[in-house]
Amino acid sequence: MPEGYRLPARPDRDGDQQLRLLEDAWEKAVPYWQDDVARQFGTHHWTPLRDESRLYLESLRAMMDLLDTAERDTEY
Amino acid sequence: MTAIHADIDALTELRAALTRFRYAQREAADRGGDAIEATRASLEAKASRWRARLEQGRAELAACRDRSAAEQDAPVDCSGYARAVSEAGERLEHIRLWQQRIDQQAIEFAGAASRFKNLLETDLPRAEEQLAAIITSLRAARRVQPSG
Repeated sequence: MPEGYRLPARPDRDGDQQLRLLEDAWEKAVPYWQDDVARQFGTHHWTPLRDESRLYLESLRAMMDLLDTAERDTEY
Repeated sequence: MTAIHADIDALTELRAALTRFRYAQREAADRGGDAIEATRASLEAKASRWRARLEQGRAELAACRDRSAAEQDAPVDCSGYARAVSEAGERLEHIRLWQQRIDQQAIEFAGAASRFKNLLETDLPRAEEQLAAIITSLRAARRVQPSG
């Protein structure tokens, strides 16, 4: 890849957007789905997925910020 | 499907959203890895360029000092060459520090990325399968045919 080349959109921002879309879908489903199965799904699938996604996306954002800063700080 | 089956619609949409999320995050994660490699390559190219300038500057400084030594009656000012060598050395060191910082951060990031990849490849498909089973069960109980 050429020096200084940057992909058009930052993956962390796309990832955040995708997580927001998923959270919207979850919020829309919750009012219709409140039985024990829903609670189990929330505990065993939804909550770990959301929390791990947030952690990962925070790490990805920090990494992308560092890459951008490194490129800017070494432009002579 | 009617409002009577709004729960099935909502769960179907949730399942579709989970699938879209899995593909989109996988693609975003790949791009994250590409961005790390692109910056590493970019920094290495910059380091290479400044290494070459440093070597050239050192050679020019040495030549200047040789001239100065040869012409003792009319000393040659080599301070410009010395400054150029100093600047090239500082910039090269600055880039090296960035390279080390990126490498360190990339190691830490790799842990989070690995956990997330595992979640996308293993946990998320299980969640999708469970939702699919629930939707199928609800449809069967109500004798509803899948749409589409």
